[in-house]
Amino acid sequence: MMRYIKLVNFEINRFSKIYLSLLLITLVSQFAGVIIVTKSLLNDARDIMKEERLSEAAYITNYGGIDFNHIANSLLFVGPIALSAVALIFYIFLIWYRDWFGKNTFIYRLLILPTSRLSIYLSKATSIFLMVLGLIAFQIIILPMENALFNSNVPEALLSEMSISTITIANPILSLIIPSTFTQFLISYGIGLMIMSILFTAIMFERSFRIKGIIMGLLYCGIAAVLFLAPVLMEIGNFYFYPNELFGMMLAIGIILTGLSVWLGAWLLKNRVTV
Amino acid sequence: MIEVKKISKNYGRKKILDDVSFTANKGEVTCLIGINGVGKTTTLKAIMGLTPYKGEILIDDQKMTKDSYEKITFIPDAPTMLPQMTIKQAMVFMSDFYTSWNPERANQLMGFFKLKEENRISELSKGNTAKLNLMLGLSLDVDYVLMDEPFSGIDMFSREQIADVFASHLIEDRGVIITTHEIGDIEHLIDKVILLDNGSVLKEFNTEEMREEEGKSVVDVMREVYQS
Repeated sequence: MMRYIKLVNFEINRFSKIYLSLLLITLVSQFAGVIIVTKSLLNDARDIMKEERLSEAAYITNYGGIDFNHIANSLLFVGPIALSAVALIFYIFLIWYRDWFGKNTFIYRLLILPTSRLSIYLSKATSIFLMVLGLIAFQIIILPMENALFNSNVPEALLSEMSISTITIANPILSLIIPSTFTQFLISYGIGLMIMSILFTAIMFERSFRIKGIIMGLLYCGIAAVLFLAPVLMEIGNFYFYPNELFGMMLAIGIILTGLSVWLGAWLLKNRVTV
Repeated sequence: MIEVKKISKNYGRKKILDDVSFTANKGEVTCLIGINGVGKTTTLKAIMGLTPYKGEILIDDQKMTKDSYEKITFIPDAPTMLPQMTIKQAMVFMSDFYTSWNPERANQLMGFFKLKEENRISELSKGNTAKLNLMLGLSLDVDYVLMDEPFSGIDMFSREQIADVFASHLIEDRGVIITTHEIGDIEHLIDKVILLDNGSVLKEFNTEEMREEEGKSVVDVMREVYQS
């Protein structure tokens, strides 16, 4: 157990510089977004009021108040979230392949550590999952600050104040990454975990059987996708499920697929992988 | 004792190892010899569980488990630590993960090889990288050490230093399996030779018996076998 924790710590440290850069980019870009977009919204509002000779009250009646939704939908706000998501998806591959390739083949050292190969597999999965949760936690921490900054920059007469929960529910990206219910959390992060374990297994196929392994990995991903979506695909046919039945089936299939992928990936790493 | 029993290995259609069997005892230096591509490195990787194979390999009568890595270590001819690490960080990593890490021996070897803790691994020369690998491997209190081409591509003085380690107390009592082309550097220290050709064991002999009974050195036997 201690070695597993040490491995997780080691993996996180290896990615720490890029990870901290992602946090910094998110912080700077989103706060810059709040300031720049707010200024632009206020300028637009003033221009309209000037052109149409409207009072602030009339402007609110005609066009509605200025709310945080404008910020949350801006590129400066959503961009770093997308960038972090892409970086972490890329890292699912990099976390394995960087140990094999390059001048220093760290995989030699990693696979001859006196710890189970399952620990090595799980430590990589855990570190990615913790980094995802860390980014979300960071977003949850800075969102109220951004909202406060926005509220302080917009004149009270033009402001349509939103609570944090309203902001997260109203924005599709924020509602996906910051679930408002436990069920939503299970769906968002459960699917994320399942996809990561399937991709890890596909990587293990490739590392075990090389060119044949790429085909096996792609097939595995395809079969997993079809299995997971089977209840939805059945609905396209003439079957009909109640929403809770559909959810229950997809949850069960998801759990089985994740368990199978972890087992298969760790088995390949232990028995078939070649350095 | 390391027992390699009838192991076979294919890469696609190419046979790399074909029913290879031999034993390596504790306290002995066993040398795997053969021209490039005969399966020397693959044999070491199979012993370490770094490549799948058919057959059986036993370490002290037991199959390889995660705990075996506290008893046996592998020193490949490539750097095995992250390039951005300093030697000090590499040593901390080893002591974090291996209960068999011996810090006193590590310091002794650091002094012997004149390595500096603050040196970054990416900045080490080929010779110093080989010394670092050797230092990290030999600083573990293990029973068996597997070395893959420790003299490959390094200068004469570094080779001499590494050969000195073989002659020192740092190796005695351990079972060593080594693959090398530079047989001259350590010929006098080798107890047993396994000659490989096309993935099979061509000849196996005890060096002392060969010298005493037939008056031949390892190089003589190699010439006889590979040039015939």
